[in-house]
Amino acid sequence: MDSLLAFFTVFTQPNLLLLVGIGTFAGVYIGAIPGLSVTMAVSILISFTFSWDVYPAISLMIGIYMGGVYGGARTAILLNIPGAPSAIATAMDGYPLAQRGEAGTAIGITTVMSFFGGFIGIAVLAVAAPFVSDFALKFQPRDYMLLAVLGILLVGSLSTGSLAKGIFAGAFGIAVGTVGMDPLTFTERFTFDIPLMRSGISFIAVMIGMFGVSEALLQLHHIGLPAIRQKITRIVPSWGTLRKHLPLSLQTSAIGVMIGALPGTGGDIAALMAYDHAKRVTKNPERPFGKGAIEGLVAPETANNAAVGGAFIPMMTLGIPGDAVTAIMIGALFIHGLNPGPMLMIDKPDMFWFIVGALVMANFFMLLFGLTGIRLFVKIVEMPRAVLIPLILLLSIVGAYAVNNSITDVYWMLGFGFFGYFMRHYGYPLGPVILGVILSRLLDDNWRRAIISEREDLGRFSWGILSSPLSLTLFVAVVLIFVSQTPVWSRAKSVLGRRQGQ
Amino acid sequence: MQDQDYDNHDGTSDATPGGYPDRRRPGELAFAGVLLAASLYLLYSAYGIAGFEALSSPGAVPMATTVVMVISALVVVVRTARLHTFAKETISGSILPRIVIIFTGLLIAYGVLLKPLGFLPTSALFLVASIRLLSDRSWGFVFAVSAGSLLCIWLIFRIVFTVLMPVGIVPEAEIIQFFRAFVHNGAA
Repeated sequence: MDSLLAFFTVFTQPNLLLLVGIGTFAGVYIGAIPGLSVTMAVSILISFTFSWDVYPAISLMIGIYMGGVYGGARTAILLNIPGAPSAIATAMDGYPLAQRGEAGTAIGITTVMSFFGGFIGIAVLAVAAPFVSDFALKFQPRDYMLLAVLGILLVGSLSTGSLAKGIFAGAFGIAVGTVGMDPLTFTERFTFDIPLMRSGISFIAVMIGMFGVSEALLQLHHIGLPAIRQKITRIVPSWGTLRKHLPLSLQTSAIGVMIGALPGTGGDIAALMAYDHAKRVTKNPERPFGKGAIEGLVAPETANNAAVGGAFIPMMTLGIPGDAVTAIMIGALFIHGLNPGPMLMIDKPDMFWFIVGALVMANFFMLLFGLTGIRLFVKIVEMPRAVLIPLILLLSIVGAYAVNNSITDVYWMLGFGFFGYFMRHYGYPLGPVILGVILSRLLDDNWRRAIISEREDLGRFSWGILSSPLSLTLFVAVVLIFVSQTPVWSRAKSVLGRRQGQ
Repeated sequence: MQDQDYDNHDGTSDATPGGYPDRRRPGELAFAGVLLAASLYLLYSAYGIAGFEALSSPGAVPMATTVVMVISALVVVVRTARLHTFAKETISGSILPRIVIIFTGLLIAYGVLLKPLGFLPTSALFLVASIRLLSDRSWGFVFAVSAGSLLCIWLIFRIVFTVLMPVGIVPEAEIIQFFRAFVHNGAA
C-alpha cells in the first residue's frame, strides 16, 4: 500500500509532475540538438539542483534522461546527425526514409516504439528490482568488487573499440577516484604534496569536463555543417504497422533491458546490438536495411528506451550504475545524503517507487511531446552552433564552479575537458572513466573489507571466490570477457569452426 | 558506407569510440606514449603510499589500478606503433585545428579572469569573443545574442537555482536589492 502511494507521489504533487514534464520536454530537445547530450545535461544539472530537495531534483533528471534518449532520433532522421549517441543506429534507416519524403512516418514510428520500449524497461524494473535487492543482501564485499570490475570491463568489450583502451580508461577513473586523503587511514594518495589535492578531485568536475567541454570542443570541427529542411506529414503510425513489428519490438526491448541492466553499458550500446539483431532475424524486410527499413528504426528505438528502465536496476539495488547517466544519478543521491544499494530499497522503498512513478510519467510525456510540436522543433534544432557551443562552455564553467564555489574545480573541469577531447579523438571510451571514478570508493572499501575478513590471506580470499556460486559466476564472467578479446579466443573459435565444418 | 566511417572517427560515444581500427591517427602514438609515461609515474607514486606493507593498505588499490594502467597503456603503445599513419589526416587539420587552440586559450583566460573580474563581465567578454569568432554575423547581432543569453543564464541560475558566482566588479547584490525594493514599493 505504501509503495502504491509512493508510486503515485509524482501524480499527486503538481510541482513534481510539472518538473518531470519540463524535464522530458527539455530532454527531447537536448537529445535532439547535436552537441548536447543527456549525460552532459544531467552532469551539469546535478550541480545546479543540489540545493533542492531530492524529489524535485530526481524528477527533473529522470525527465531529461527519458526525453533525451528519445530525442536523438529526430535529428538522426531529419539531418542524418544522431543528436545523441543512442541514436547512431537510428540514422542508418531513418535518414533514407526522410529522403524519400517519409520523415513523418519515421518520427511517428520511433516515438511510439520508444514509448513501448520505455514501458517494457520500466515494467521489468518494477518487477525485478525488489527481487534483485533481496538477492543483493547476500552479496559479499568481494562480489561488489567483482561486479565493479565487470562493469568497467563490459563497456570496453561490448563497444566497437579496443578493450585495452577501455581498460585503461576504467583504471584511470579508479585512480582519479582515489586521489586525496584515504577515508580509512587518512594517508595521502596521489596528492604530490600539493595541499589542494588533499580534498580529492570533484567527480562533478570530471564529468562536466569529459562530457561537456570535450564534446563542445569536438563540435568546433563541424561548425559549418548545413541543415537540411524536411517536410513532415502524417506522424501517427497505423495500427497495422505497429502490430506487424510487435514481435521484433518485444525482442529488441528485451535486449535493451538486459544491456541496460548490465553494469556500465547503456542505451547507445543497446541500440547498436538491437540493430544487429534486427538485421539477423528479419528475413524479408520491405526495404533493405540501410535504405529505409522500418525494422531498422524499431529495433534501436525500442532498445535504447528499454535500457533506461534496465539501467536503474543495478543502480537502485546494488548502487552500481547501469550506464553513465545512472552513474551521475548515484552521485546526485549521494549529494542528497542517500546511499544507493540494497539498504536503500529496504530503508526507503518510497524512493524506489517514486522513481518508477516518475519514469512512467516521463514516458507518457515523451509520447506526447514526440507526436506534437514538430514545427517548433525544427526551429530550435536549427539554432546556430556558433551560439550553442559558447553557451555549452559557459554552462559547463558555471556548473563546475557551483558545486563547491571553488575555482579549482573549474580548472579541473577544463583539464579533464582537454584530456577527454584527445581521448575521444584517439578512441578511448569516456564511460569507463566516469564509472571508475564513481566506483572507486566502492571498489577500494570492498576490497579492503574482503581481504581483512580473510585475515590478509590471498589464498583464503581466492578460496572464498571459488566456493561461493555467486562469486564464482562473477569471476568467470570477468575472466571470459577478458579472454574473449585476446587472440587465443579467436584462434580457438576458428579451430572449433573448422572442426564443425568437417 | 566509407563516408560514414570517416564521419564517426571523432568518437561520438562509447559504442563507437574514435580513431580507425587499422590506421593510426596523427599524434596517436605520442598520446599513447604520454599515457604510458604518466602511468609509470603514477605507479611509482602509488608504491610510495604504503609499499608492499599489507594487502589491505591504502596503497593496495592504487597500486593495482596503476599496474593495470601501465600494462594496458603498454599494449596500446605496441599495437599503435604497428599501424600505419592515416595519410589523409594532419594534426592541424583533423586533431587540433586552430579554432580549438583559440578556444582553449579563451577558456583559460576565462578561468584566470573569473575571480578578479567577476562572472558577468568575464562571461560577456567570453560570449562576445567566441560568438564573433564562430559566426560571420555583424557586431550588433553578436552583442544582442550575447547580452540576451547571458541575461537568461544569470536570471535562471541566480534566481531559480540560487547559484552564487564570483561577483567581482559588478555590484550584483545591490542591483538585486534595488529591483526588490522597486517591485516592493510598486506593489505597496
